[in-house]
Parts: sequence; C-alpha cells; structure tokens
Amino acid sequence: MSISGFGYLIKEGLKNVWNNRMMSIASIGILVSCLLLTGAAALMSVNVQQTVKAVGESNVFTVYLKQNVTELQAVQVGENLKNIDNISSCKFLSRDEAIKQYKKDLPEEIYQELIGQGNPLPNAFKISMADLSKYSDTVTKIKKVSGVDQISNKSDLAATLTKLNNLVSTAGIWIIIILGLISLFIISNTIRMTMYSRRFEISIMKSVGATNLFVRIPFIVEGMVIGLISGLISTLGLMFVYNILMSSISNLIHYDAIPFSQMSTGVLVAFIISGIAIGALGGIISVGKYLKKEGNEILGW
Amino acid sequence: MIEFKNVSKTYQNGTKALNNVNINIDKGEFVFIVGASGAGKSTFLKLIMHEETPTNGKIFINGTNVTNMHHRKVPYLRRTMGIVFQDFRLIDKMTVFDNVAFAMRVIGASPSAVKRRVPYILGLVGLKDKANSRPSQLSGGEQQRVSLARALVNNPLMIIADEPTGNIDPEMSYEIIDLLSEINKYGTTIIVVTHEQNLVKQFNRRVIEIGNGQVIKDSVPMPDLDNEADSSEGQI
Repeated sequence: MSISGFGYLIKEGLKNVWNNRMMSIASIGILVSCLLLTGAAALMSVNVQQTVKAVGESNVFTVYLKQNVTELQAVQVGENLKNIDNISSCKFLSRDEAIKQYKKDLPEEIYQELIGQGNPLPNAFKISMADLSKYSDTVTKIKKVSGVDQISNKSDLAATLTKLNNLVSTAGIWIIIILGLISLFIISNTIRMTMYSRRFEISIMKSVGATNLFVRIPFIVEGMVIGLISGLISTLGLMFVYNILMSSISNLIHYDAIPFSQMSTGVLVAFIISGIAIGALGGIISVGKYLKKEGNEILGW
Repeated sequence: MIEFKNVSKTYQNGTKALNNVNINIDKGEFVFIVGASGAGKSTFLKLIMHEETPTNGKIFINGTNVTNMHHRKVPYLRRTMGIVFQDFRLIDKMTVFDNVAFAMRVIGASPSAVKRRVPYILGLVGLKDKANSRPSQLSGGEQQRVSLARALVNNPLMIIADEPTGNIDPEMSYEIIDLLSEINKYGTTIIVVTHEQNLVKQFNRRVIEIGNGQVIKDSVPMPDLDNEADSSEGQI
C-alpha cells in the first residue's frame, strides 16, 4: 500500500470519529468510565501490595527459648533456626537485653514487680519471615527446633494481609476482564453504527475492488482514536480522583499512599495501550461481520 | 472474456435461479441481457462479480477459472470490471469529482493520478463543468453519467450495467446506452442488463434473453449495420 493510500485511510478514520461525534463521545465516555474503574482497582492493588510488602518486611516475630537454655546453647538454637527455609533474618536477644528494654518502656513500679526476685524473661530470637503466607508452616518447623518454647502469635495479621492481597488481585483481574468486555462491546457497536451509516460507501468500495484491508483500516483507525482519546482523559481523571481520595484517607488515618506522580507514566502507557487495543479490536470485530456480506446484503436489501 | 459452462445456481432457500447456462461473451462485445423479473439476470451478474458462487458448472473470466476463487483475489477480479447500478449509488455528501475519485482512492491510487484521471473521465461523460456539484443537484441522467464515470475511472476491461436506465426518462436512457456504445468503441466489453425491450431494439447489439434460469434466446447483431440507433431499429 502506498503512503498516500495509507494517509487517505487514516484521514478517513479521523473523519469517521468526527462525523459520528455523538456516538464517539458516548463511546469515549463509557471507555473512560471502564478505564477509570480498572485503573482505580489497579492502583488500590498496588497500594495494598506495597502495604503488605512493608508489613512483610517489618514482620518481626519473637521466638522464646526455654528458661533452662543458656546463651551458649542458644547459639546452636540460632543456627538451627537460620536453617529453616522461610526465615530471612534471625537475631539473638538475650534475656538481659530484653529486660533492659522493658525497663525503658514500663513504669518503674510495674518493672519492679515484674523482676521480683530476678529476671523472668527467657533468651529469645527476633526473626523475620520471607513469605508471610507460609507463616503456619514455618511456625511448625520453628517449634520442632530443640530449645524453643513458644513464638509470638501474628498468624491473624499474616493471614489477613495475605487474604486482602489475594482478594484485591483477584477482584482487580475480574474488574479488568468484565469492564474490558463491556468497553469492547460498546466500541464495536459504535463502529457498527458508523459502518451502517457508511454501508453505501462500503458496498461501492467492494464493488470497485477495494481489498478487505482497505475497507477495514478507517474503522480500525476510528476505534484506535476513540481508545487513544479515552486513554488520555482517563489518565487525567484518575490522577484527579486518586489525589482527592488519598488526601482524604491521609487526613483520617496515618497512611503514606504511593504518590500518583510515581505511577503516572505507567498509568498513561497502560491506559493508552489498552484503549487503543480495545478500540482496534472493536473495529476488527465489527468490520469482520460486514466484510462477509456482498453487494445488496451490505445495504440490507 | 466471460464464459459460463453448464452453470447452475440454486439458493439456500431452494430457489433455482440459473439452470445449466452456457454463455460466451468475447472481449470488446456489447451485450444486452434481457428477461422478465426473476428470470435470473441478477444472479448472472452476481456470478460474474463473484458476489455469488455457482452450485454447478464453471465460470471463466479473462481466461481464469473464477468458480471457486479465493476471497483474497476477488477484489482484484473486480478491478477488471466497472459496475453501474440502477439507483446510481452516489454519495451525496461528496462532490461529483470526489464520487468518481473515490473509486480510485479506495484501490490505493496516488493523489496525482486522481487529479489527472478524474477530469478526463468527467470530460468523457460530458460532466466536466459539474465536477463541484453534489449528486442531488443533478438530473437522473446526469447522475447515471457520474455513476458511469466512476465505473470507467479505473480503466476496467468490462462495464457491467445493471438496469442503468431504470430510474431515468426514455430520452436520457437512450443517451446512456449511446454513451456506453461510445465507450465500447475503445474496446471495453459492455454488458447491459435491462428489461426495456424498446430501448434494446434501438441498438443493433447482441441480445441474450434469460427466462426461468435458462438462455432462451441469443441473437447476434446484423453484420452489415453499425450501432446507429435509428437504422438498427427493429432489426435485431
């Protein structure tokens, strides 16, 4: 295809968007809504994942050793703990250090009552897990280590965060699939309306020997332009909504949301690519049905 | 140029449109296809344009067997034909120039070729001064001439006119067929489907009559007469 021929087709596609502007605006509106909801779900997922990661990274559990385990014996226990798969860090906390910490944190009277006739605290290890979803499994392994008495229980937090992360990811995927299909349906219908209004031209194009590709391109361009415009509007819209929402949340609770500026390029690229892809696909689907028709069938006669 | 060998066409609803038809049209011929409504004339044209495929038999166009031609090749087959419709099928939001140019643009012609060719073709059909008019501003006869210009602009080997005079008055009808005769002089094969017997009688041309899906008459023009309408009247 010559460059001029290609230029003609692009021009025709742009003309389609303008000539059919009411339907184009409706399509852009619906695609923007879909992209906004999808983007909101994605950004929520990113924020939750970051929170889970932050909590995961600060997941410090205390493994208490039995009272009779001496500091020397504790070295061996520490080695055994380090050999467990999911343990990312393991730091010894002697009973003397622990009581010093208590002394700092507790009022004097309570502290005196606590120590009574001596330090009641056992030696311990501060450990972190690499993957919180394997919490229960890891705790079982820790308890099997000789000298270990008990472990501070954070299973609820681990389970809740893992569940929340899975829920957000799954919901995000479904939102993307469902809204993607809705957008596809709306865009292909818009393009089908353009095709209906231009059925006359299509029948003439086919009768003079235009190839299917040549008939198809302006409608695909139309879909892509609708997608591109929707992608740009959605990015601006999402930025606006996200900033308002996050500043409201930050006012209520102490929460450091990821700034939109950190994600803006990714959001823009993702929205433009998905908008253009949905638009192009909508064009391909709707034109495909028409191209199978011949002569008067195209005109519905 | 066009050869139908034992061609039959039965539609999915059971309608038998053509039944064992044998037709041979040579390059440069001018042929009228006549017959009553539902006789099979439209199916004959659809088979030539490959809008339909035959149930039985073979179709050759320009020496190529197009019976079961791959759909990707069909556009290139159609570029050898110029189609003129009864209802003109002009796009009213386009000027006369653009309507004709449209046929060139959609097969990828360059803007310079369009600029050169369209005025020439409009001159050929006598509409050079109407290039900037809209189809709705023209008479029926003029609109059909625009349609003819569009059919001609890609320099096809044959012109297929489906009831080209169906929507215009008798005087204009004569002019259109006369114009087609002029084009035929350049070697373009012309196939005109019509049910207007009076018009056919005014031109000394081959006439193929289709009835009940079969060729019921195939009369050749008188050899000693040219296409002067008056002198050929009643002699086919």
